Amino acid sequence: MSEAATQSVVARPLVPTTEEDRYFDYCLQPYDPVRDPRGKLRSECLLWNSLDVVGAPPSLDAALRSVQATAGRDMTVFGIKHHAGRLWWELYFYDRLKEDSAVQADSIIESVSPWFSFAAQPRETVPYFMFSFDLFPDTAEGGEVDVVNLYLPYYEVQGGRSYKLSAAGLEMDNVYRFLHPKTEVREMLHEIHQSVFVDFSRVSLSQVLLPELIDCNRVCVAKKRFADAIYYSGIDVGQLLYFFRKFEYPEAIQSFVMEHRSEFEHLRFDVGIDYSMRPDGSVEMVKSGYYGTI
Amino acid sequence: MNDSALRDQVHPTRFRDLAVTVDFHCNSACTFCIVQEGMNNYRGVPFERFAAIADENLRSHKYDRVIFTGGEVTLEESLFQFVTYARNSGGFRHVRLQTNGRKLADPAFTRRLVDAGIDEFFVSIHGDTAELHDQITQRPGSFDELVRGLENLSAHPVRRMTNTVVHRTNVKAFEGIVEVAQSHGVIEMEFWNYLPMEDHDDEANLIAPLTNGLPSLLGALDRCAEFGIRSVTKYVPQCMLGAHGDTLDNSQPDTIIVETFWDEFPRFACLYEAECEHSEECLGLSHDYVRKFGWEETTLTPVPRTRPWTPRDVGVQGRPDESPAETAQAPGGHPAWEALLEGLPGDAGRMIRVQLSRNEARFSLEFGEGASLDLVLASRDEDAPALLRTTSFNVFYSQVNGSYEPPHLERLLREVCDRIEARDDGSLSLDSRKGLVQLKRERNERPQVV
Repeated sequence: MSEAATQSVVARPLVPTTEEDRYFDYCLQPYDPVRDPRGKLRSECLLWNSLDVVGAPPSLDAALRSVQATAGRDMTVFGIKHHAGRLWWELYFYDRLKEDSAVQADSIIESVSPWFSFAAQPRETVPYFMFSFDLFPDTAEGGEVDVVNLYLPYYEVQGGRSYKLSAAGLEMDNVYRFLHPKTEVREMLHEIHQSVFVDFSRVSLSQVLLPELIDCNRVCVAKKRFADAIYYSGIDVGQLLYFFRKFEYPEAIQSFVMEHRSEFEHLRFDVGIDYSMRPDGSVEMVKSGYYGTI
Repeated sequence: MNDSALRDQVHPTRFRDLAVTVDFHCNSACTFCIVQEGMNNYRGVPFERFAAIADENLRSHKYDRVIFTGGEVTLEESLFQFVTYARNSGGFRHVRLQTNGRKLADPAFTRRLVDAGIDEFFVSIHGDTAELHDQITQRPGSFDELVRGLENLSAHPVRRMTNTVVHRTNVKAFEGIVEVAQSHGVIEMEFWNYLPMEDHDDEANLIAPLTNGLPSLLGALDRCAEFGIRSVTKYVPQCMLGAHGDTLDNSQPDTIIVETFWDEFPRFACLYEAECEHSEECLGLSHDYVRKFGWEETTLTPVPRTRPWTPRDVGVQGRPDESPAETAQAPGGHPAWEALLEGLPGDAGRMIRVQLSRNEARFSLEFGEGASLDLVLASRDEDAPALLRTTSFNVFYSQVNGSYEPPHLERLLREVCDRIEARDDGSLSLDSRKGLVQLKRERNERPQVV
C-alpha cells in the first residue's frame, strides 16, 4: 500500500445521488434505500475513495469509468478486497438472461482494452450468469488480467459454483449458497459446520458467524479451495464501520466513511470474510471485502 | 412509535413511560456502571426541554409516568424543579425516582421528595449483604444507607421497587436480595442482565454466562412469587426463564438523553429469532455476550412459532417529542418516484413501497379489504402492451392478490394512471445508461472520460 494510505487522502469530488439511482446489492438484486437518498452519496464513492487510499494511477480511474459507461450506471458490482493491509478490487457483471450484450464479457473486455488485456476470454455459450475479474493498482498500466471467474447457478436453490478461467484452461474454484440468516438458520448452520478448514469442536461458531453482522438481508456461505467464507448482504453503514474496525481496514477508509456516515445512511452494503483455522485452533481471517455498485 | 419499535434494539420503549436524565453525577462507583465514561461527558436534559415535553403531554396524554434518573439524580438540586413541574403539570399519574437510595437515609430529604410529588421509588440493590453490595458499589456504607432509605419510605404512602443488575459478582445472591427487599416492603423487583456499554470486551469480567447465573435467578423469581412480589427480568433469553417466562419485559421508557448514548447501546441477536414464538418480546443475547460465550446454539430452546415471523423494523426512529404528523411525513426511499402517486385518495388505495430495478419501477399498492397489486412502469415502448403510455413509460399492473370488487380496482387504476400521466414530464427515466454514454473511439485509443 502506498504512503497515501496513512495520510489524509486528497479529496476528489464526491458523487451525489440522483433521482434515477437504483439500489442493488452485490448480486444486483434491487433493494429499497433505508432512508431518503436525496442529498446523499452514491456507493461508488467507496470505490473512488479506495483508489485514492491506495494511490492508484489515473489509468485505473479511466478504465473503471469506461466500464461504468459501457455496462450502464449502477450495473457493475465492485468489491474492494483487503488482506494484511493490501487492497485490490474485483468487478462483477451480471446478465442472468443473457439479455444485455453490454455486460457480456466481450463487451467489457473491449471497453477496457486501452488500459489492459485479458489472458483468456470466456465462450458466450457457457451458461454463466455472472463473471468477474480482479484489478490491482497497476493493472491499468498496460497489465493483463490472467483470470476470469465464471459463475454458474444451481437449479432452484439460490447459489452457484465458480470456475477460474485462465490461459491454462478452466478449473473449479468455489461453491456458494445464499440463505436467509433467520428463516433458513438450520441450513445456514449446517453449511457453516460442514468445513474441512475449521474444527468446530475447538472454535466457537461466534468467531466466524458474527453477531454484529447477522442482522442482514441474506447470508452467503462459500466453500473455497483454501478457506471457507461467509458474506453478509444488506448491512447498514453502522455495520460497515464495525466491519472496517474488526478487520483493520486502513484508517483513511474508515475515516472517510465515518466522516460521510450520514450521507451513506440510505445505502445497504455487502461484506464478505474468508476464514480458516491455524494449527493452534485460532481462527485466521484470510481476507475480506466490501461491495457496492458503480 | 409503533409496535415494531418495541423490537428495535436501540429504542425499545415502554410506551406510556418517559424517562428524563436530569444529571450524570454519582456518589457510588458501581463496578458494572454503564456510563462511567459518560459521567464526564453527558449532560442532563435542560429543564426547558422537559417542561416543553410535559406541556405537550398534557395535551397528548402520551405518557402516564415520568421517571427521573441520572447518574444519581438525588445529587442534583434542580431535581425538585423537575419533580414539582411534573406533578403540577397534571399530565403524569406517577412520578418515579430511579436512585441508588443512599440519600434516602436522610428522613428529611426523603420527606421532601415525597412532598414534591414522587410516589414511586425505584432503588438499586445489588447484594444481599453490606459486604457484597458495598463491594459492588465501591462505597462502604452504601448498603446500610439504602436499607435505612427503604425503612424511611415505609412512613410514606409510596411504592417501593428495586433494581438488581445481574452480573458475575452477585449471581449467588439473588435469593438473599429478595429476602432483604421483602422485609422492607418492596412490591416489585426488577433483575436486569448486565449489558456492557463501554467495556464491550468485558475486560472487567462481569458478564455472567447463562449456565452460571440462571439457577440463582430462577430461585429468586420463585421467592418473589412466594412473597407476592411482582418480578421483572430484562435481557435474559425468554426460553431460559422456564415457568417465569412471563417476567421478561425488555421494554424501556422513552428516554430523553443525549443522542450519543444510543450509539453505544448494546445490540442483540438470536439465531432462532425466526423460529421462536417469543421473538417479538425476547431480544436474545447481547453481541458482547455472543462474542464472549458464543451463540449458545445448543442451550437456547426456541418455542415453535404459531404465527408468521417478520424481520425487525430498522427504519428511522422517532424522537419522544415527535408529533404523529412528523412521523407520517417521514419520506421513503424514492421520493421522486413516490411523488408520481402523491395524493392518492385513501379510499382508492394506498402505496406501500416503490422499488426500482434494472428495467422498471414497481409500486406496491393496497386497496379494498386487503387486496393488493403491483403497478409497473417500464421504459416507453410502442410495441409492448400497456395499460397506459406516458411520456417516458409504459404502465401496466400485475400480481393482483386478495378479494375485491372490480369497480374498486378500476377506480384505483384510474386514479394512479391519471396522476402518472399528468406528472410524467420526462424527467424520470428507466434508461439504464442515462447520463453515461460510451464514447466513440478507435481501438486502443484512450478516450477522455467525463
